[in-house]
Amino acid sequence: MREMIISELTQAMHELARGFAHFLPRLMVMLILAFVGWLIAYVVKVSLRSILRLIRFDKLSENAGASQLLNKAALPSSSELLSRFAFWVAWLGFILLGVSILGIFGLEEQIARFFLFLPRLFVALFISFFGLLAAGFFSRAALLAAVNANLPSPRLLSIAIRAIIIVFVLSVVFEELGLAEQTMLVAFGIAFGALMLGFAIAFGLGGRDLARRFLEKRFVGEKADENEDELSPL
Amino acid sequence: MPLKQDVLWYKDAIIYQVHVRAFYDSNGDGIGDFQGLEQKLDYLQELGINTIWLMPFFPSPLRDDGYDIADYNSVHSNYGSVEDFKKFLGSAHERGIRVIIEMVLNHTSEQHPWFQESRSTQDNPRRDWYVWSDTDTRYKGARIIFLDTEMSNWAWDPISKSYYWHRFFSHQPDLNYDNPAVRAEMWNVMKFWLEMGVDAFRLDAVPYLVEREGTNCENLPETHEILKELRQKLDEQFPGRMLLAEANQRPADLRPYFGDGDEFNMAFHFPLMPRMFMGVKLEDRKPITEILQQTPEIPASCQWCLFLRNHDELTLEMVRDTERDYMYDAYAQNKTMRLNLGIRRRLAPLLDNDRRRIELMNGILMSLPGTPIIYYGDEIGMGDNINLGDRNGVRTPMQWSGGWNGGFSIADPESLYAPLILNPVYGYPAVNVLSQKRTEHSLLSWMRRMIAIRTSTRVFGNGSIEFLYPANHRVLAYVRQFGNETVLVVNNLSSAAQAVELNLRRYKGNILIEMFGKNVFPRVGDLPYLLTMGPYQFYWFRLRRI
Amino acid sequence: MSQNAIMQERPIPLLSEIKLAEESFLTDDLLRQLINIGEVDILVGLPTHNNVKTVGLIVQQIQSGILRWFPRERAAIINVDAGSRDGTPELVTGISIDDIHRASNLYALRTLHSISTQYSSHTASGGVLRIILSAAELLRAKACVVMSPESSNVEPEWLSKLLMPIYKDGVDFVTPTYRRHKFAGILITNLLYPMSRAVYGVRIREPYATEFGFSGRLGSQFLGQTSWGSGTEGSDLELRLTLAAITGGCRVSQAFLGGKAHVERRAADLVPALRQTVGSLFSALEPDFPFWSAASGSQPVATTGPEPEFTLEPLRVNRKRLREMFSSGVVELDSVFQSILSPPTLEEIKRIAVLGEDDFRYPAELWVRTVYEFAAAYHKSVINRDHIIQALAPLFRGRAFMFVVENRNSSADQVENNIESLCLEFERLKPYLLQMWNG
Repeated sequence: MREMIISELTQAMHELARGFAHFLPRLMVMLILAFVGWLIAYVVKVSLRSILRLIRFDKLSENAGASQLLNKAALPSSSELLSRFAFWVAWLGFILLGVSILGIFGLEEQIARFFLFLPRLFVALFISFFGLLAAGFFSRAALLAAVNANLPSPRLLSIAIRAIIIVFVLSVVFEELGLAEQTMLVAFGIAFGALMLGFAIAFGLGGRDLARRFLEKRFVGEKADENEDELSPL
Repeated sequence: MPLKQDVLWYKDAIIYQVHVRAFYDSNGDGIGDFQGLEQKLDYLQELGINTIWLMPFFPSPLRDDGYDIADYNSVHSNYGSVEDFKKFLGSAHERGIRVIIEMVLNHTSEQHPWFQESRSTQDNPRRDWYVWSDTDTRYKGARIIFLDTEMSNWAWDPISKSYYWHRFFSHQPDLNYDNPAVRAEMWNVMKFWLEMGVDAFRLDAVPYLVEREGTNCENLPETHEILKELRQKLDEQFPGRMLLAEANQRPADLRPYFGDGDEFNMAFHFPLMPRMFMGVKLEDRKPITEILQQTPEIPASCQWCLFLRNHDELTLEMVRDTERDYMYDAYAQNKTMRLNLGIRRRLAPLLDNDRRRIELMNGILMSLPGTPIIYYGDEIGMGDNINLGDRNGVRTPMQWSGGWNGGFSIADPESLYAPLILNPVYGYPAVNVLSQKRTEHSLLSWMRRMIAIRTSTRVFGNGSIEFLYPANHRVLAYVRQFGNETVLVVNNLSSAAQAVELNLRRYKGNILIEMFGKNVFPRVGDLPYLLTMGPYQFYWFRLRRI
Repeated sequence: MSQNAIMQERPIPLLSEIKLAEESFLTDDLLRQLINIGEVDILVGLPTHNNVKTVGLIVQQIQSGILRWFPRERAAIINVDAGSRDGTPELVTGISIDDIHRASNLYALRTLHSISTQYSSHTASGGVLRIILSAAELLRAKACVVMSPESSNVEPEWLSKLLMPIYKDGVDFVTPTYRRHKFAGILITNLLYPMSRAVYGVRIREPYATEFGFSGRLGSQFLGQTSWGSGTEGSDLELRLTLAAITGGCRVSQAFLGGKAHVERRAADLVPALRQTVGSLFSALEPDFPFWSAASGSQPVATTGPEPEFTLEPLRVNRKRLREMFSSGVVELDSVFQSILSPPTLEEIKRIAVLGEDDFRYPAELWVRTVYEFAAAYHKSVINRDHIIQALAPLFRGRAFMFVVENRNSSADQVENNIESLCLEFERLKPYLLQMWNG
């Protein structure tokens, strides 16, 4: 009995050793790949950073308002962000490649699926980022325009616009990621519809007079009462 | 013997204005004479001249350069005799050159026998030949013409103890044209010269013949009546002779002097001349085109006389005050040059002795509608002497050569009737006929070629004119047409190169042939015709449709 | 600090900015007309847009002015029209003084060209002023003047006042001063004038002028040094030209013209006005930093004619609306202001926003700090720059309200003193601007 255990153990040990021996080179390869990948990714990061600096990407993103968003999220500047992102993508790619060489069954498939998923993730992140930017920009633009035109409840308008844009962006993101598409679509439809109905009721009931005055002015004639007694700034 | 008549000969004339005293002295007394003038007829013929206009040569005290006449039927002894004149006239006609002489109708010298008689007593038969008055208050509306010397149009005569009327110098009493005897006698005077063969008269100071109270005593209807009468007699008895009016008036007031073709044949276009100078200085055609737009149509048989300079000052009477001020500042900075609302300078000094500008001005002179007059000496670019009194600075001796007295006379230089121009720029060693004849590119040679081209076609003297108004206001462009001949004239009035686009759509399909070099220029197409011109350059193009 | 600034001055050009053959913005037609005009001594620029009611009279007054004071000079009028449909350009060219047009009954020694060209904002960049400057350079004009098509009260004397200093005395830039109502042009008296005076160190009353004169030399300089990218649209170039004259060390003077013609304005015009003027001023601060950071105090500018005056006739002003828009603006735009203003300033503003009309004060110091913080925020692009300008509008209304209330019974001298003290406040707080700028 004991000999059997010992021989089994020994065999198992041998198996393990052999397996290990088989595995070790692949592990080495993986580590080497990881290391090489790190180097390459670093080069990618640095070169991308220089290119972005050359084309003054920071300035552009500043004008688009992206910088402010990043600042708020305590993230580094956009070119830095992009370069780091590229670094991670590149390195992860090499690591995953190395992992696939390890030959762990099933992992390859998962890795493949992950790689297929990556572009869509990237696009989704992209959409959500710029969507948030746009939401911020347009809502603020609407707020300022409404305030300066002396319209009632400008903040409500601004929030409404931001909400609409965010909802829209989210639904697009989810569709892109392929997560619960149908649910999201339906949910979006309901939410959007409800929002619109709400506004219609609110404006319809509440803005009756305003609508009447507006229509009167357009189709009946000018009423200059709004513009009299105004100072000329220049 | 008068030349065979083409009644409209004056439309093709190139007139040379000369004072016999200043041209050539044949007898060494320091004063030019008719024999000398006769000797120089070849020069004039070579130049291309076909008409000579003589300044007054009658006996005279010469206090107004001969315009104060003391005897109408004779020749001043300084210049020769009536026989000399006849001989000169014959020689001129032989060379195909016609002769215009002065006839001063308006006034005589106070030394004329008529005036001597008229002033002697109140009841002299010739009393009425002049305009007398007991006061000097009549005809207040009349302006004073010689502003620099005369205070009034009336002068006191100590002999007859009354005032006499004079529109010019006080020693030039006005004849009284209300008196039929005066009119008859003046016609006799003219007949005297006409019978001798003289081809035309330049009638001096015609606007002022008749005075009427309550008017400005200029251009009165009665004056025109008298002139029409003269013309009628002329046409009846001496067909083919010509009357040229000297009337320094605005274009609208000049028009009546042509009548319906029954008064004067020609008249000087006084208002145009200062504006030509203004246009070149301003580098803007506006003054020129405006005055020509305001120039009225004249009867078909009549003709304008165009000139750049003459024996008088460059008159600025008929321009606005702003224009006169500008002309003074531009052309007569030195106040000595100014006289009687005018500028007393010759052509070359006025144009800074700039050969290109002199050529341009002559080009315009020869291409505008009218008969051109060349003032003696301007064909070689003679200078002036503003230190000689009155207008004598532009009446100095003709400069024939660089030798003794400029070739004008063999007399002592101190005995010449006027000093020669001596300065290094315009003096006779630098500017003279002999030197310029030897150079193909002298001003004289250029003038000869220019006159030849001018006389090669009848379009300039007889044709219509249509102004083109290119957007570049520095370019003066017009089209002359006569019969089936069409000539395009383009003048650059600016001292800088210019590009100009001409709207020649009416002449589409024509080839342009430049008249001086006879080279072909591009054909007129649909697009505006682009010309590039050098400073002060001008083109004459013959338009040919082949 | 200045190293940074200088580096900022010369950024590496974007590839798209380096072009070998630039598309010309001068149309063939305009170029042809300029060729025909040739060299001039005086050029008058007249931008128009549907001004047929006033432009005829204005052009005639311009012609009278030129013929009266510059009768012998070569002159031309160039009308840059932004697509009028009411016959404005035809009216202008129809009263040209030359030997073709007989409409004018004015006598002129020379041709006085009056041409017109179209300006369309999508083909041209840099605007109307760029066309006038280019024409001035091509025509080698010694002295130029830009006139406003809305000044229906223009007098021929204005030509003399704006041009003589340039033509005879070697001045490079002449701005106007006016007699105006004390409540007209508050944006100028309460912001543009004091700020440009404090920052640039030169006391120009009307830095954003609609009629002004400039020398050919200044025009060429400005034309050459300005980068004419598509960002330089619109009529903010008048202000840039003023600032270029100051930073270029040119001789500047002012001329009193008289009353300023009243133009109908609407409440909605404030934001575009702010964009053109304040936006322009703020964006000019960046490239001009080396200049204005070194300037201190302010120098007076030579003025011909009397000092600017105020008229005091009663004017109905909707004060209530001003105050309301200020208060509601402060409340609604709180989130925006938090990005722009410093906390103490914002606190103050929020505090006064709730005050009653009688207690309301928008003191000079607070206003100056507000403006300077806005300028710094603009410089740092904390949010979209156009939004920063729009956000200034309600605060400006608050200040305008304050000014109207404070001066409702004031005499002209008192108004002038109030403005002067505001200017001094701007000057005093200039270090604060520098601090905010660099912090």
